[in-house]
Amino acid sequence: MTRATRLPISRRKFLAGAAAVGISFKIPKSALAADGKVNFYNWDTYIGENTIDEFEAATGIEVQYDLFADNDELFAKLRGGNPGYDVIVPTNDYVERMMAADMLLPLDHSRIPNMKNIEPDFMDPAFDPGRLYSLPYMWGTIGVGYRKSAVDEAPTSWNDLLNSDKYAGRIALMSEPQTVMQMAFKAMGKSLNDFSDENIAAAEKMISDQKPNIVAFAPDNGQDLLLAGEVDFAMEWNGDILQAMDEDDDIGYVLPDEGGLLWEDTLCIPKGAPNVENAHALINYLLDAQVGADIADFVYYATPNAAAKALMSEEYTGNPAIFPSAEATAKSEVSVYPGQEIVRKVDEAWTRIKAS
Amino acid sequence: MQDIRNRLGVFLAFSGPTFIWLVLFFVVPLGIIWMYSFGENVSLTEIETTWTLDNYRRMLEPEILQLMGRSVWLAFVSTLICLLVGFPMALLIASASHEAKPWLLLLIMLPFWTNLLIRTYALLNILGTRGRLNQLLEWLYGWADKILNTVGLNHLGILGDGFTPLKFLGTQSGVIYGIVYVSLPFAILPIYSSLERMDKSLLEASMDLGAGQWQTAKNVLIPLAMPGVVTAAIITFIPALGQFLTPDLLGRGQVDMIANVIERQFKRANDWPFGSAISLTLLYATFMLLAIRSFNDAARARRTGRS
Amino acid sequence: MFGNRSKAGPFEYSRKWSLRLFFMLGTVFLYAPIVVLIIFSFNDSRRGGNIIWKGFTTKYYTKAFGNEELMLAFANSLTIAVVSTIISVILGALTAVVLWRFRFPFKPIYEGLVSLPIVIPEICMGVSLAMFFSAMGWMQTGDKPWPFNLTNIIIAHITFCFPFAAMVIRTRLQSFNREMEEAAKDLGASEFQVFRDILLPHMKPGLIAGALLAFTLSLDDFVITFFTSGPNTVTFPVKIYSMVRFSVTPEINAASTVLILMTLVLTFLALRYQRMDSTP
Repeated sequence: MTRATRLPISRRKFLAGAAAVGISFKIPKSALAADGKVNFYNWDTYIGENTIDEFEAATGIEVQYDLFADNDELFAKLRGGNPGYDVIVPTNDYVERMMAADMLLPLDHSRIPNMKNIEPDFMDPAFDPGRLYSLPYMWGTIGVGYRKSAVDEAPTSWNDLLNSDKYAGRIALMSEPQTVMQMAFKAMGKSLNDFSDENIAAAEKMISDQKPNIVAFAPDNGQDLLLAGEVDFAMEWNGDILQAMDEDDDIGYVLPDEGGLLWEDTLCIPKGAPNVENAHALINYLLDAQVGADIADFVYYATPNAAAKALMSEEYTGNPAIFPSAEATAKSEVSVYPGQEIVRKVDEAWTRIKAS
Repeated sequence: MQDIRNRLGVFLAFSGPTFIWLVLFFVVPLGIIWMYSFGENVSLTEIETTWTLDNYRRMLEPEILQLMGRSVWLAFVSTLICLLVGFPMALLIASASHEAKPWLLLLIMLPFWTNLLIRTYALLNILGTRGRLNQLLEWLYGWADKILNTVGLNHLGILGDGFTPLKFLGTQSGVIYGIVYVSLPFAILPIYSSLERMDKSLLEASMDLGAGQWQTAKNVLIPLAMPGVVTAAIITFIPALGQFLTPDLLGRGQVDMIANVIERQFKRANDWPFGSAISLTLLYATFMLLAIRSFNDAARARRTGRS
Repeated sequence: MFGNRSKAGPFEYSRKWSLRLFFMLGTVFLYAPIVVLIIFSFNDSRRGGNIIWKGFTTKYYTKAFGNEELMLAFANSLTIAVVSTIISVILGALTAVVLWRFRFPFKPIYEGLVSLPIVIPEICMGVSLAMFFSAMGWMQTGDKPWPFNLTNIIIAHITFCFPFAAMVIRTRLQSFNREMEEAAKDLGASEFQVFRDILLPHMKPGLIAGALLAFTLSLDDFVITFFTSGPNTVTFPVKIYSMVRFSVTPEINAASTVLILMTLVLTFLALRYQRMDSTP
């Protein structure tokens, strides 16, 4: 069944919206001419404390701020047609997926002068050459959070979590099939993007065998389990562990020797966005140096914004959990979208793991 | 029961709105899913109905059958527990004084106005290795130990070396606990409803004829309450089968049920045709169950002449 | 056997101590998690799953009330629940009467059809409705003024709530004594009068029970709402889910406690009204 064509309708709405910008029913929040709305769909607690308010005050644009829990939710929401979001925050491999599905609007770089603030290294990634559809927001790693007093030395290999009894009954893995498999690939010394049939089968066996030793496949709260003492080792995003470290000095974060996963969350505009003009304004605002610094300070993930980074404290820029050393990063890889075929194979393997 | 020919106008007036609503907002959307189940992904966001049976064939893979079996088992056990626990509770409310009844009903319903997620997380606090239930068990263990000590029997080692917390989370028992916790009021209400307006004179008659209270309960009360019990069983079993949040949170991802697979197809795996096929299979099976029950009811009605 | 005490009537089970004890244990089972939830809403613990007690504080209540999105989500949920319940009870009552009263061709199929929304996995229903709304072009909820942007969700909720109400009401109807109806007719009452003055009052406990059930289901729903909602239409469960996915903080407990209190008050008022109205 073909998707209902909704682009004509939204184009009409966009034109109507553009006309309405001059005739706003809202009392303008500032003297600036810009007005109207923007629908921002973001991860939870992934913005500075006052960023939205400050944006509204500075531009007079009202922000409708909605939250999603993971990339799949974002993709599922937009799959059947954009229900009205203007700015979204997908992770790098989902940007690829959305680009392949033609769900993103090309960005008008002329409307985003703050682009210049971004680190040059981030401006031409493999998943979006030339940054046509996305701009970086935050980046980080997936590694291992652990309780320091529970071990003699920090875990050094993914095999400790995935392939051995050493820490039986004290481990939490993630609940994302692909990510866990990718770490299994790493444990085997392979690239995390190498989804060959042999690798998938071997990873499936490894994880199935390890299942009795695992306490939980945590959706996003591995750090909570760590803090509560339910587990001593958690496969987690670095930012989550950092926030846990804030509460408990006994928690540490490490990238295993084989390397971890490098991820990047980006700002995009989905096709069918009703307020494209305001969307660009929002993205530009978020890439401002001070705004970026405020966000980084609150969210505590690594910022790709060089100008913002320059404003941050030594404590932040020197923190190896936020900005891992070159050698640690060298072996870590960015995840590439493997295509629908592989996604299906991974899911089937995962179902087999879960059924066992 | 009346034949509709006598009262066609009333019949249409009563059945019409529901029928239209269902067709528009239920049958049509289901039709879409039905077509998807015979389709395949032609691109990341588009599905084309190629009338392939591939999705249904995949249902016969061992892991899917295993998960379906597990789901049926967990739902069955949970329903059984809900009925066993719910019946006496419904009985107490139905036989309470007129003033007490609404309060008792409120008492039962109130926990269930809490959001499902919150309740399940509250259970995490209860069921964890350092949670309240284990704390309670540990306390009870301490008392049992003390008593055995005083009596001088502790050398028998009945209670073992020490208290080890029971593992609920990440096991089937935790998931069952969660499903029962969530489903209990759905079990109590229909049973209560049917007990409440039961013809009490039949009970009186039974006791007048010499049956004791428990005998009356067994031979008269329970059979009379059966419609309510059956409703309760259905209203509990079916949602239990389709649970995905409870096994996910309380099972900690270790005790997946069939709905977890469906959820993954619609989200992570982006395989809506397959997800549609699984959902529909679940639907066909339970629809058959309901149809059997309905035919049974109709046959019984014809036999006994009761409506 | 009972000595000096009066003999218990045939249905006076509530006087039996074994049953009372059982009921109390059951109530403890139901309430313990809730009570714990409320206690831990005062826990001074930002992270860690809110399992270990760290100290007393009320700051999370302030936080919850100050959380605009949470409050909006909550208002949305209430609105949807009220509208859905009203329409669900109406549709449910109509359905229950039809199934109870009439014999007609294909009745088992009609019965099956009405039971389907209960049977279908919520995800399936959520997705099918989302596809439907998408095809109709109704998914663009961003521009509609409140409360019309909630229409999609309301429609979805009614669709899965009314069969539950129908089931409960129908069970109630099955114990209706037709002789009363016939007696009334003998006395000259019209069909409509019979319905209004005899059937409806008998149905009332079933209607109330059905309404309570529908209200609960609507307020509680996550899956179906998630698929049929868009920007501007975040409901309480959906909002909580995204908060809880990340970490459990006492703020969520605080918000839930407030919700519990509110529904307690609402139900109290509803019951009050019902009792003023009902015949003993």
